[in-house]
Amino acid sequence: MTERFVFESREEFLERLRALIDEGTDPQSIRIRMPYQVPEVMEILGERPDRLRFFALFGALTGFGSGLALTIYSVLSWPLIVGGKPIISLPPFLLIGYLLTILCGSLGAFFGFLLLARLPSGRGLAEGAQFPERFVIVVGEEEEP
Amino acid sequence: MRGEEQNITTATGRVEKDVLAALGRPGLRYLAGVGLCALLALMLFILWGGLALRGLGLSGKNHPVGWAMLITNFVFWVGIAHSGTLISAVLYLFRARFRTSFNRSAEAMTVFALLVASLFPLIHLGRVWVFYYLLPYPSERLIWPNFRSPLVWDVFAVTTYLIVSLVFFYVGMIPDLAIARRRLPGLRGRTYGLLSLGWQGTVLQWRHYGRLYLFLAAFATPLVASVHSIVSWDFAVSIVPGWHTTIFAPYFVAGAIFSGTAMVITLTIPMRRWLRLEPYITVDHFEAIAKILLFTSLIITYTYLVEHGLSLYGNSPFERDQYLYRALGDYRVLFAIMIVCNSLLPLTMFVRRLRRNLAWLFILGILVNIGMWLERFVIIVASLSHDYDPYAWGTYNFSLVEFGITVGSFGLFFLFFLLFVRLLPVLSMTEIKEHQ
Repeated sequence: MTERFVFESREEFLERLRALIDEGTDPQSIRIRMPYQVPEVMEILGERPDRLRFFALFGALTGFGSGLALTIYSVLSWPLIVGGKPIISLPPFLLIGYLLTILCGSLGAFFGFLLLARLPSGRGLAEGAQFPERFVIVVGEEEEP
Repeated sequence: MRGEEQNITTATGRVEKDVLAALGRPGLRYLAGVGLCALLALMLFILWGGLALRGLGLSGKNHPVGWAMLITNFVFWVGIAHSGTLISAVLYLFRARFRTSFNRSAEAMTVFALLVASLFPLIHLGRVWVFYYLLPYPSERLIWPNFRSPLVWDVFAVTTYLIVSLVFFYVGMIPDLAIARRRLPGLRGRTYGLLSLGWQGTVLQWRHYGRLYLFLAAFATPLVASVHSIVSWDFAVSIVPGWHTTIFAPYFVAGAIFSGTAMVITLTIPMRRWLRLEPYITVDHFEAIAKILLFTSLIITYTYLVEHGLSLYGNSPFERDQYLYRALGDYRVLFAIMIVCNSLLPLTMFVRRLRRNLAWLFILGILVNIGMWLERFVIIVASLSHDYDPYAWGTYNFSLVEFGITVGSFGLFFLFFLLFVRLLPVLSMTEIKEHQ
Protein backbone atom coordinates (compact mmCIF):
# COMPACT_ATOMS: atom_id res chain seq x y z
CA MET A 1 0.00 0.00 0.00
CA THR A 2 1.39 3.32 -1.04
CA GLU A 3 0.38 6.79 0.03
CA ARG A 4 1.35 9.77 -2.06
CA PHE A 5 1.21 13.42 -1.01
CA VAL A 6 1.95 16.42 -3.21
CA PHE A 7 2.41 19.94 -1.87
CA GLU A 8 3.23 23.29 -3.32
CA SER A 9 3.82 24.94 0.02
CA ARG A 10 6.96 24.19 1.96
CA GLU A 11 5.16 24.69 5.29
CA GLU A 12 2.38 22.22 4.47
CA PHE A 13 4.95 19.72 3.27
CA LEU A 14 6.98 20.00 6.47
CA GLU A 15 3.85 19.82 8.59
CA ARG A 16 2.75 16.59 6.90
CA LEU A 17 6.22 15.10 7.16
CA ARG A 18 6.36 15.86 10.89
CA ALA A 19 2.92 14.35 11.32
CA LEU A 20 3.98 11.17 9.55
CA ILE A 21 7.01 10.79 11.79
CA ASP A 22 4.92 11.55 14.90
CA GLU A 23 2.43 8.89 13.81
CA GLY A 24 5.30 6.42 13.96
CA THR A 25 5.95 5.96 10.26
CA ASP A 26 9.35 4.42 9.67
CA PRO A 27 11.59 7.13 8.08
CA GLN A 28 13.09 4.39 5.88
CA SER A 29 9.73 3.88 4.21
CA ILE A 30 9.29 7.58 3.41
CA ARG A 31 10.59 8.76 0.07
CA ILE A 32 10.69 12.45 -0.67
CA ARG A 33 11.43 14.61 -3.66
CA MET A 34 11.88 18.34 -3.27
CA PRO A 35 12.05 21.13 -5.86
CA TYR A 36 14.68 22.88 -3.75
CA GLN A 37 16.73 22.28 -0.67
CA VAL A 38 14.88 22.28 2.68
CA PRO A 39 17.34 21.77 5.56
CA GLU A 40 14.54 21.05 8.07
CA VAL A 41 13.83 17.75 6.31
CA MET A 42 17.19 16.35 7.38
CA GLU A 43 16.40 17.33 10.98
CA ILE A 44 12.97 15.70 10.88
CA LEU A 45 14.24 12.49 9.30
CA GLY A 46 17.31 12.44 11.53
CA GLU A 47 20.80 13.51 10.45
CA ARG A 48 22.96 10.72 9.14
CA PRO A 49 26.74 10.90 9.44
CA ASP A 50 28.13 12.89 6.54
CA ARG A 51 30.56 10.76 4.56
CA LEU A 52 31.28 13.32 1.86
CA ARG A 53 33.78 15.11 4.08
CA PHE A 54 36.00 12.03 4.04
CA PHE A 55 36.21 12.20 0.25
CA ALA A 56 37.11 15.90 0.46
CA LEU A 57 39.65 15.22 3.19
CA PHE A 58 41.18 12.29 1.33
CA GLY A 59 41.42 14.36 -1.86
CA ALA A 60 42.95 17.32 -0.04
CA LEU A 61 45.56 15.21 1.75
CA THR A 62 46.41 13.32 -1.44
CA GLY A 63 46.80 16.63 -3.28
CA PHE A 64 49.04 18.10 -0.62
CA GLY A 65 51.16 14.96 -0.44
CA SER A 66 51.50 14.68 -4.20
CA GLY A 67 52.39 18.37 -4.51
CA LEU A 68 55.23 18.00 -2.04
CA ALA A 69 56.32 14.63 -3.45
CA LEU A 70 56.39 15.96 -7.02
CA THR A 71 58.39 19.06 -6.20
CA ILE A 72 60.86 17.33 -3.89
CA TYR A 73 61.36 14.40 -6.27
CA SER A 74 61.88 16.74 -9.22
CA VAL A 75 64.57 18.83 -7.52
CA LEU A 76 66.37 15.75 -6.30
CA SER A 77 66.17 14.31 -9.79
CA TRP A 78 67.30 17.55 -11.50
CA PRO A 79 69.16 19.58 -8.88
CA LEU A 80 69.56 23.30 -9.57
CA ILE A 81 71.87 24.55 -6.88
CA VAL A 82 71.73 28.33 -6.68
CA GLY A 83 73.97 30.29 -4.32
CA GLY A 84 74.56 27.25 -2.12
CA LYS A 85 70.97 27.32 -0.92
CA PRO A 86 69.17 24.09 0.02
CA ILE A 87 67.79 22.19 -2.96
CA ILE A 88 64.53 21.46 -1.20
CA SER A 89 63.03 24.96 -1.01
CA LEU A 90 59.95 24.43 1.09
CA PRO A 91 58.19 27.83 0.71
CA PRO A 92 57.58 27.53 -3.06
CA PHE A 93 56.94 23.81 -2.77
CA LEU A 94 54.28 24.43 -0.13
CA LEU A 95 52.58 26.68 -2.65
CA ILE A 96 52.31 23.82 -5.15
CA GLY A 97 51.12 21.57 -2.31
CA TYR A 98 48.49 24.13 -1.34
CA LEU A 99 47.17 24.46 -4.89
CA LEU A 100 46.98 20.69 -5.33
CA THR A 101 45.23 20.43 -1.94
CA ILE A 102 42.45 22.62 -3.27
CA LEU A 103 42.33 20.95 -6.67
CA CYS A 104 42.27 17.37 -5.42
CA GLY A 105 40.04 18.23 -2.44
CA SER A 106 37.45 19.75 -4.77
CA LEU A 107 37.64 16.88 -7.23
CA GLY A 108 37.51 14.35 -4.38
CA ALA A 109 34.37 16.02 -3.00
CA PHE A 110 32.80 16.13 -6.47
CA PHE A 111 33.41 12.47 -7.25
CA GLY A 112 32.39 11.52 -3.72
CA PHE A 113 29.14 13.39 -4.28
CA LEU A 114 28.49 11.47 -7.50
CA LEU A 115 29.09 8.21 -5.67
CA LEU A 116 27.05 9.00 -2.57
CA ALA A 117 24.17 10.69 -4.40
CA ARG A 118 24.14 7.79 -6.89
CA LEU A 119 24.62 9.96 -9.93
CA PRO A 120 24.40 9.53 -12.86
CA SER A 121 21.17 7.78 -12.04
CA GLY A 122 19.79 5.27 -14.52
CA ARG A 123 16.38 5.56 -12.89
CA GLY A 124 16.52 9.34 -13.04
CA LEU A 125 17.52 9.28 -16.71
CA ALA A 126 14.74 6.88 -17.64
CA GLU A 127 11.79 8.13 -19.66
CA GLY A 128 9.10 9.61 -17.42
CA ALA A 129 11.32 10.25 -14.40
CA GLN A 130 11.34 13.94 -13.58
CA PHE A 131 12.66 16.45 -11.09
CA PRO A 132 9.35 17.65 -9.59
CA GLU A 133 8.03 21.18 -9.44
CA ARG A 134 6.37 20.44 -6.07
CA PHE A 135 7.14 18.58 -2.87
CA VAL A 136 6.31 14.89 -3.09
CA ILE A 137 6.10 12.41 -0.22
CA VAL A 138 5.55 8.74 -0.89
CA VAL A 139 5.00 6.35 1.99
CA GLY A 140 5.23 2.70 1.12
CA GLU A 141 7.48 0.15 -0.40
CA GLU A 142 6.63 -0.29 -4.01
CA GLU A 143 6.29 2.91 -5.92
CA GLU A 144 9.04 5.43 -6.54
CA PRO A 145 7.87 9.02 -6.11
CA MET B 1 -2.31 4.31 -4.91
CA ARG B 2 -4.12 5.97 -2.04
CA GLY B 3 -3.77 9.33 -0.34
CA GLU B 4 -4.41 12.98 -0.87
CA GLU B 5 -3.22 14.88 -3.90
CA GLN B 6 -3.35 18.61 -4.31
CA ASN B 7 -3.57 20.06 -7.78
CA ILE B 8 -2.25 23.50 -7.19
CA THR B 9 -1.01 25.93 -9.81
CA THR B 10 2.57 26.44 -8.71
CA ALA B 11 3.89 29.88 -7.89
CA THR B 12 7.42 28.61 -8.37
CA GLY B 13 6.52 27.53 -11.89
CA ARG B 14 6.62 31.17 -12.90
CA VAL B 15 10.31 31.34 -11.94
CA GLU B 16 11.04 28.38 -14.19
CA LYS B 17 9.05 29.85 -17.05
CA ASP B 18 10.70 33.27 -16.80
CA VAL B 19 14.24 31.98 -16.52
CA LEU B 20 13.91 29.30 -19.19
CA ALA B 21 12.25 31.77 -21.58
CA ALA B 22 15.81 32.85 -22.39
CA LEU B 23 16.43 29.43 -23.92
CA GLY B 24 13.85 30.11 -26.61
CA ARG B 25 14.33 31.04 -30.23
CA PRO B 26 17.05 33.69 -30.60
CA GLY B 27 16.22 37.02 -32.22
CA LEU B 28 18.07 38.74 -35.04
CA ARG B 29 19.90 41.14 -32.73
CA TYR B 30 21.21 38.22 -30.71
CA LEU B 31 22.39 36.41 -33.83
CA ALA B 32 24.06 39.60 -35.08
CA GLY B 33 25.84 39.90 -31.72
CA VAL B 34 27.00 36.29 -31.87
CA GLY B 35 28.18 36.79 -35.46
CA LEU B 36 30.17 39.91 -34.59
CA CYS B 37 31.79 38.29 -31.56
CA ALA B 38 32.58 35.16 -33.58
CA LEU B 39 34.32 37.31 -36.21
CA LEU B 40 36.38 39.05 -33.55
CA ALA B 41 37.30 35.69 -32.01
CA LEU B 42 38.27 34.42 -35.46
CA MET B 43 40.48 37.47 -35.86
CA LEU B 44 42.23 36.56 -32.61
CA PHE B 45 43.04 33.06 -33.83
CA ILE B 46 44.16 34.24 -37.28
CA LEU B 47 46.48 36.84 -35.75
CA TRP B 48 47.77 34.30 -33.27
CA GLY B 49 48.48 31.97 -36.18
CA GLY B 50 50.41 34.80 -37.84
CA LEU B 51 52.45 35.37 -34.68
CA ALA B 52 53.21 31.67 -34.37
CA LEU B 53 54.28 31.38 -38.02
CA ARG B 54 56.17 34.64 -38.50
CA GLY B 55 57.48 35.13 -34.96
CA LEU B 56 56.97 37.51 -32.07
CA GLY B 57 58.60 40.28 -34.08
CA LEU B 58 55.08 41.02 -35.29
CA SER B 59 54.27 42.28 -31.81
CA GLY B 60 55.55 45.61 -30.53
CA LYS B 61 57.66 43.98 -27.81
CA ASN B 62 61.26 45.09 -27.68
CA HIS B 63 64.21 45.45 -25.36
CA PRO B 64 63.65 46.35 -22.56
CA VAL B 65 59.85 45.86 -22.73
CA GLY B 66 59.62 42.09 -23.19
CA TRP B 67 56.31 41.76 -21.35
CA ALA B 68 53.69 44.05 -22.75
CA MET B 69 50.15 43.94 -24.06
CA LEU B 70 49.80 40.14 -24.12
CA ILE B 71 50.77 39.78 -20.46
CA THR B 72 48.60 42.81 -19.62
CA ASN B 73 45.69 40.89 -21.13
CA PHE B 74 46.56 37.77 -19.16
CA VAL B 75 46.55 39.66 -15.85
CA PHE B 76 43.39 41.53 -16.83
CA TRP B 77 41.39 38.41 -17.71
CA VAL B 78 42.55 36.45 -14.65
CA GLY B 79 41.43 39.46 -12.63
CA ILE B 80 38.02 39.49 -14.29
CA ALA B 81 37.58 35.89 -13.20
CA HIS B 82 37.93 36.71 -9.53
CA SER B 83 34.67 38.40 -8.91
CA GLY B 84 32.83 35.27 -10.01
CA THR B 85 34.39 33.27 -7.21
CA LEU B 86 33.83 36.08 -4.75
CA ILE B 87 30.14 36.27 -5.59
CA SER B 88 29.61 32.53 -5.77
CA ALA B 89 31.74 31.22 -2.99
CA VAL B 90 32.56 33.99 -0.54
CA LEU B 91 29.09 35.53 -0.52
CA TYR B 92 27.61 32.02 -0.20
CA LEU B 93 29.64 31.41 2.95
CA PHE B 94 28.46 34.78 4.27
CA ARG B 95 24.86 33.89 3.34
CA ALA B 96 24.41 37.10 1.31
CA ARG B 97 21.10 36.54 -0.43
CA PHE B 98 21.61 39.00 -3.24
CA ARG B 99 24.24 36.69 -4.69
CA THR B 100 21.41 34.56 -6.14
CA SER B 101 20.81 37.23 -8.78
CA PHE B 102 24.39 37.26 -9.97
CA ASN B 103 26.06 34.00 -9.05
CA ARG B 104 25.34 32.01 -12.22
CA SER B 105 26.45 34.82 -14.56
CA ALA B 106 29.47 35.48 -12.36
CA GLU B 107 30.47 31.80 -12.31
CA ALA B 108 30.11 31.62 -16.09
CA MET B 109 32.15 34.79 -16.38
CA THR B 110 34.88 33.23 -14.23
CA VAL B 111 35.16 30.17 -16.43
CA PHE B 112 35.11 32.16 -19.69
CA ALA B 113 37.56 34.78 -18.44
CA LEU B 114 39.98 32.02 -17.37
CA LEU B 115 39.67 30.30 -20.74
CA VAL B 116 40.52 33.59 -22.46
CA ALA B 117 43.28 34.40 -19.94
CA SER B 118 44.95 31.04 -20.41
CA LEU B 119 45.42 31.79 -24.12
CA PHE B 120 47.73 34.73 -23.47
CA PRO B 121 50.74 32.98 -21.93
CA LEU B 122 50.47 30.53 -24.84
CA ILE B 123 50.36 33.36 -27.39
CA HIS B 124 53.23 35.04 -25.58
CA LEU B 125 55.29 31.84 -25.79
CA GLY B 126 55.65 32.23 -29.52
CA ARG B 127 56.42 28.57 -30.15
CA VAL B 128 53.13 27.44 -28.72
CA TRP B 129 53.64 23.86 -29.85
CA VAL B 130 56.15 23.36 -27.03
CA PHE B 131 53.75 24.61 -24.36
CA TYR B 132 53.97 21.24 -22.62
CA TYR B 133 57.46 22.18 -21.40
CA LEU B 134 55.55 24.13 -18.73
CA LEU B 135 54.04 20.97 -17.33
CA PRO B 136 55.81 18.52 -15.02
CA TYR B 137 56.15 15.28 -16.93
CA PRO B 138 58.86 12.63 -16.96
CA SER B 139 60.87 13.34 -20.09
CA GLU B 140 63.77 11.47 -21.64
CA ARG B 141 65.96 14.51 -20.91
CA LEU B 142 65.24 14.16 -17.17
CA ILE B 143 64.39 17.87 -17.00
CA TRP B 144 61.66 19.14 -14.68
CA PRO B 145 60.11 22.59 -14.45
CA ASN B 146 61.73 24.85 -11.88
CA PHE B 147 59.18 24.88 -9.06
CA ARG B 148 60.89 27.92 -7.55
CA SER B 149 59.76 30.00 -10.52
CA PRO B 150 56.56 32.05 -10.18
CA LEU B 151 55.80 31.23 -13.81
CA VAL B 152 55.41 27.57 -12.88
CA TRP B 153 53.28 28.56 -9.86
CA ASP B 154 51.10 30.39 -12.37
CA VAL B 155 50.55 27.24 -14.41
CA PHE B 156 49.37 25.40 -11.31
CA ALA B 157 47.34 28.34 -9.97
CA VAL B 158 45.44 29.07 -13.17
CA THR B 159 44.84 25.39 -13.97
CA THR B 160 43.55 24.74 -10.45
CA TYR B 161 41.38 27.82 -10.60
CA LEU B 162 39.91 26.86 -13.97
CA ILE B 163 39.09 23.28 -12.93
CA VAL B 164 37.63 24.24 -9.54
CA SER B 165 35.57 27.05 -11.12
CA LEU B 166 34.29 24.71 -13.79
CA VAL B 167 33.23 22.12 -11.20
CA PHE B 168 31.56 24.82 -9.08
CA PHE B 169 29.75 26.23 -12.12
CA TYR B 170 28.52 22.80 -13.19
CA VAL B 171 27.49 21.58 -9.74
CA GLY B 172 25.44 24.72 -9.14
CA MET B 173 23.59 24.06 -12.37
CA ILE B 174 22.67 20.38 -11.93
CA PRO B 175 19.16 20.92 -10.41
CA ASP B 176 18.44 23.68 -12.93
CA LEU B 177 19.41 21.42 -15.81
CA ALA B 178 16.91 18.90 -14.46
CA ILE B 179 14.24 21.62 -14.52
CA ALA B 180 15.18 22.44 -18.13
CA ARG B 181 14.77 18.75 -18.92
CA ARG B 182 11.24 18.78 -17.51
CA ARG B 183 10.26 22.02 -19.21
CA LEU B 184 11.79 21.60 -22.66
CA PRO B 185 10.58 19.05 -25.18
CA GLY B 186 12.41 16.69 -27.53
CA LEU B 187 16.12 16.40 -28.03
CA ARG B 188 16.87 19.55 -26.04
CA GLY B 189 15.06 18.19 -23.02
CA ARG B 190 16.91 14.88 -23.31
CA THR B 191 20.25 16.68 -23.61
CA TYR B 192 19.56 18.68 -20.46
CA GLY B 193 18.48 15.44 -18.81
CA LEU B 194 21.83 13.83 -19.60
CA LEU B 195 23.67 16.90 -18.35
CA SER B 196 21.64 16.80 -15.12
CA LEU B 197 22.82 13.19 -14.62
CA GLY B 198 19.24 12.10 -13.91
CA TRP B 199 18.79 14.44 -10.95
CA GLN B 200 15.44 13.85 -9.20
CA GLY B 201 15.71 15.97 -6.07
CA THR B 202 15.59 13.12 -3.55
CA VAL B 203 16.56 13.75 0.06
CA LEU B 204 19.75 11.77 -0.46
CA GLN B 205 20.73 13.90 -3.45
CA TRP B 206 19.91 17.23 -1.80
CA ARG B 207 21.73 16.30 1.39
CA HIS B 208 24.99 15.52 -0.39
CA TYR B 209 24.47 18.38 -2.81
CA GLY B 210 24.27 20.89 0.05
CA ARG B 211 27.45 19.52 1.60
CA LEU B 212 29.27 19.48 -1.73
CA TYR B 213 28.33 23.08 -2.45
CA LEU B 214 29.61 24.09 0.95
CA PHE B 215 32.90 22.22 0.45
CA LEU B 216 33.41 23.69 -3.01
CA ALA B 217 32.71 27.19 -1.66
CA ALA B 218 35.20 26.57 1.14
CA PHE B 219 37.84 25.30 -1.31
CA ALA B 220 37.23 28.12 -3.80
CA THR B 221 37.35 30.94 -1.24
CA PRO B 222 41.11 30.79 -0.60
CA LEU B 223 41.60 30.75 -4.35
CA VAL B 224 40.15 34.28 -4.51
CA ALA B 225 43.12 35.45 -2.49
CA SER B 226 45.79 33.09 -3.72
CA VAL B 227 45.48 33.03 -7.51
CA HIS B 228 45.96 36.71 -8.13
CA SER B 229 48.58 36.83 -5.38
CA ILE B 230 50.52 34.26 -7.37
CA VAL B 231 50.00 36.27 -10.57
CA SER B 232 51.32 39.33 -8.71
CA TRP B 233 54.42 37.39 -7.68
CA ASP B 234 55.28 36.97 -11.36
CA PHE B 235 56.28 40.59 -10.94
CA ALA B 236 57.00 41.06 -7.26
CA VAL B 237 59.54 38.23 -7.04
CA SER B 238 61.72 39.97 -9.62
CA ILE B 239 63.96 42.94 -8.73
CA VAL B 240 62.51 45.37 -11.27
CA PRO B 241 61.74 48.77 -9.65
CA GLY B 242 57.98 49.23 -9.56
CA TRP B 243 57.44 45.48 -9.35
CA HIS B 244 59.55 44.44 -6.37
CA THR B 245 57.18 45.27 -3.53
CA THR B 246 55.35 43.35 -0.83
CA ILE B 247 52.10 45.24 -1.40
CA PHE B 248 51.57 43.57 -4.77
CA ALA B 249 49.59 40.53 -3.60
CA PRO B 250 46.77 42.37 -1.79
CA TYR B 251 46.96 45.12 -4.39
CA PHE B 252 46.35 42.65 -7.22
CA VAL B 253 43.65 40.73 -5.35
CA ALA B 254 41.66 43.88 -4.60
CA GLY B 255 42.11 45.03 -8.19
CA ALA B 256 40.92 41.69 -9.49
CA ILE B 257 37.75 41.75 -7.42
CA PHE B 258 37.21 45.38 -8.39
CA SER B 259 37.48 44.75 -12.13
CA GLY B 260 35.50 41.49 -11.93
CA THR B 261 32.66 43.20 -10.08
CA ALA B 262 32.62 45.92 -12.73
CA MET B 263 32.40 43.25 -15.44
CA VAL B 264 29.51 41.49 -13.64
CA ILE B 265 27.65 44.81 -13.60
CA THR B 266 28.46 45.44 -17.26
CA LEU B 267 27.17 42.02 -18.28
CA THR B 268 24.10 41.70 -16.08
CA ILE B 269 22.52 45.08 -16.75
CA PRO B 270 21.88 44.42 -20.48
CA MET B 271 21.21 40.71 -19.80
CA ARG B 272 18.53 41.60 -17.25
CA ARG B 273 16.83 43.89 -19.73
CA TRP B 274 17.01 41.63 -22.77
CA LEU B 275 15.83 38.54 -20.90
CA ARG B 276 13.22 40.49 -18.89
CA LEU B 277 14.63 39.36 -15.57
CA GLU B 278 13.74 42.55 -13.68
CA PRO B 279 11.70 40.70 -11.02
CA TYR B 280 14.72 38.54 -10.15
CA ILE B 281 17.62 40.97 -10.51
CA THR B 282 16.34 44.06 -8.77
CA VAL B 283 17.78 47.53 -8.37
CA ASP B 284 18.38 46.65 -4.69
CA HIS B 285 20.65 43.83 -5.84
CA PHE B 286 22.59 46.21 -8.06
CA GLU B 287 22.90 48.62 -5.17
CA ALA B 288 24.41 45.85 -3.05
CA ILE B 289 26.96 44.95 -5.71
CA ALA B 290 27.72 48.66 -6.27
CA LYS B 291 28.77 48.80 -2.62
CA ILE B 292 31.29 46.01 -3.28
CA LEU B 293 32.56 48.07 -6.21
CA LEU B 294 32.95 51.12 -4.00
CA PHE B 295 34.64 49.15 -1.22
CA THR B 296 37.18 47.55 -3.55
CA SER B 297 37.81 50.91 -5.24
CA LEU B 298 38.70 52.39 -1.85
CA ILE B 299 41.12 49.51 -1.22
CA ILE B 300 42.67 50.09 -4.64
CA THR B 301 43.05 53.82 -3.94
CA TYR B 302 44.64 53.02 -0.60
CA THR B 303 47.13 50.65 -2.25
CA TYR B 304 47.98 53.32 -4.83
CA LEU B 305 48.76 55.67 -1.97
CA VAL B 306 50.80 53.05 -0.11
CA GLU B 307 52.69 52.12 -3.27
CA HIS B 308 53.52 55.70 -3.99
CA GLY B 309 54.35 56.36 -0.35
CA LEU B 310 56.75 53.41 -0.33
CA SER B 311 58.40 54.74 -3.46
CA LEU B 312 58.82 58.26 -2.14
CA TYR B 313 59.84 57.39 1.43
CA GLY B 314 61.59 54.09 0.73
CA ASN B 315 65.03 55.64 0.25
CA SER B 316 65.58 53.82 -3.02
CA PRO B 317 66.40 56.24 -5.86
CA PHE B 318 65.38 53.61 -8.41
CA GLU B 319 61.94 53.11 -6.87
CA ARG B 320 61.40 56.85 -6.53
CA ASP B 321 62.48 57.47 -10.09
CA GLN B 322 60.23 54.67 -11.34
CA TYR B 323 57.25 56.14 -9.51
CA LEU B 324 57.87 59.60 -10.91
CA TYR B 325 58.29 58.11 -14.38
CA ARG B 326 55.01 56.23 -14.06
CA ALA B 327 53.11 59.35 -13.02
CA LEU B 328 54.89 61.97 -15.12
CA GLY B 329 56.79 60.08 -17.85
CA ASP B 330 55.86 58.65 -21.24
CA TYR B 331 52.76 56.87 -19.92
CA ARG B 332 51.40 59.74 -17.81
CA VAL B 333 48.17 60.04 -19.79
CA LEU B 334 47.37 56.37 -19.22
CA PHE B 335 48.29 56.78 -15.55
CA ALA B 336 45.93 59.76 -15.22
CA ILE B 337 43.05 57.89 -16.90
CA MET B 338 43.70 54.97 -14.55
CA ILE B 339 43.44 57.21 -11.47
CA VAL B 340 40.26 58.85 -12.73
CA CYS B 341 38.56 55.56 -13.62
CA ASN B 342 39.69 53.50 -10.63
CA SER B 343 39.81 55.99 -7.79
CA LEU B 344 37.75 59.08 -8.58
CA LEU B 345 34.70 57.97 -10.59
CA PRO B 346 33.80 55.07 -8.23
CA LEU B 347 33.44 57.66 -5.44
CA THR B 348 30.10 58.49 -7.07
CA MET B 349 28.90 55.24 -5.51
CA PHE B 350 28.70 57.08 -2.20
CA VAL B 351 25.58 58.74 -3.63
CA ARG B 352 22.60 56.44 -3.22
CA ARG B 353 20.80 57.77 -6.27
CA LEU B 354 23.80 56.98 -8.48
CA ARG B 355 24.19 53.51 -6.95
CA ARG B 356 20.62 52.83 -8.07
CA ASN B 357 21.02 54.41 -11.50
CA LEU B 358 21.59 51.44 -13.80
CA ALA B 359 22.66 53.55 -16.79
CA TRP B 360 25.44 55.13 -14.72
CA LEU B 361 26.38 51.78 -13.19
CA PHE B 362 26.71 50.28 -16.67
CA ILE B 363 28.92 53.16 -17.87
CA LEU B 364 30.95 53.06 -14.66
CA GLY B 365 31.48 49.30 -15.08
CA ILE B 366 32.99 49.87 -18.50
CA LEU B 367 35.13 52.80 -17.33
CA VAL B 368 36.43 50.81 -14.35
CA ASN B 369 37.49 48.01 -16.67
CA ILE B 370 39.25 50.46 -18.96
CA GLY B 371 40.98 51.85 -15.87
CA MET B 372 41.96 48.42 -14.60
CA TRP B 373 43.30 47.32 -17.98
CA LEU B 374 45.40 50.49 -18.09
CA GLU B 375 46.58 49.87 -14.52
CA ARG B 376 48.04 46.51 -15.53
CA PHE B 377 49.54 48.06 -18.67
CA VAL B 378 51.17 50.87 -16.71
CA ILE B 379 52.53 48.51 -14.06
CA ILE B 380 53.99 46.11 -16.61
CA VAL B 381 55.22 48.41 -19.35
CA ALA B 382 56.32 51.50 -17.40
CA SER B 383 58.38 49.41 -14.97
CA LEU B 384 60.24 47.60 -17.76
CA SER B 385 60.68 50.79 -19.77
CA HIS B 386 62.57 52.50 -17.02
CA ASP B 387 64.57 50.25 -14.70
CA TYR B 388 68.08 50.62 -13.27
CA ASP B 389 70.26 51.37 -16.25
CA PRO B 390 69.45 54.56 -18.21
CA TYR B 391 71.36 53.08 -21.16
CA ALA B 392 68.72 50.33 -21.36
CA TRP B 393 65.66 52.53 -21.07
CA GLY B 394 63.12 52.42 -23.87
CA THR B 395 59.46 52.86 -24.64
CA TYR B 396 56.88 50.46 -26.00
CA ASN B 397 54.29 50.96 -28.72
CA PHE B 398 51.83 48.19 -29.37
CA SER B 399 51.51 46.72 -32.84
CA LEU B 400 48.26 46.27 -34.72
CA VAL B 401 48.62 42.51 -34.28
CA GLU B 402 48.64 42.85 -30.48
CA PHE B 403 45.77 45.31 -30.64
CA GLY B 404 43.77 42.90 -32.83
CA ILE B 405 44.46 40.02 -30.46
CA THR B 406 43.29 42.16 -27.52
CA VAL B 407 40.06 43.14 -29.27
CA GLY B 408 39.61 39.51 -30.36
CA SER B 409 39.91 38.35 -26.75
CA PHE B 410 36.94 40.55 -25.84
CA GLY B 411 35.08 39.07 -28.82
CA LEU B 412 35.83 35.54 -27.62
CA PHE B 413 34.75 36.33 -24.07
CA PHE B 414 31.47 37.93 -25.15
CA LEU B 415 30.86 35.08 -27.61
CA PHE B 416 31.13 32.57 -24.75
CA PHE B 417 28.80 34.69 -22.65
CA LEU B 418 26.21 35.12 -25.39
CA LEU B 419 26.16 31.35 -26.00
CA PHE B 420 25.82 30.75 -22.26
CA VAL B 421 22.81 33.08 -22.07
CA ARG B 422 20.92 31.06 -24.70
CA LEU B 423 22.06 27.58 -23.79
CA LEU B 424 22.07 27.41 -20.00
CA PRO B 425 19.82 28.76 -17.22
CA VAL B 426 21.19 32.21 -16.36
CA LEU B 427 19.75 32.26 -12.85
CA SER B 428 19.76 29.61 -10.17
CA MET B 429 16.08 28.71 -10.17
CA THR B 430 16.23 26.40 -7.17
CA GLU B 431 17.96 29.06 -5.07
CA ILE B 432 15.41 31.69 -6.09
CA LYS B 433 12.59 29.33 -5.08
CA GLU B 434 14.33 28.58 -1.81
CA HIS B 435 14.53 32.28 -0.93
CA GLN B 436 11.04 33.18 -2.12
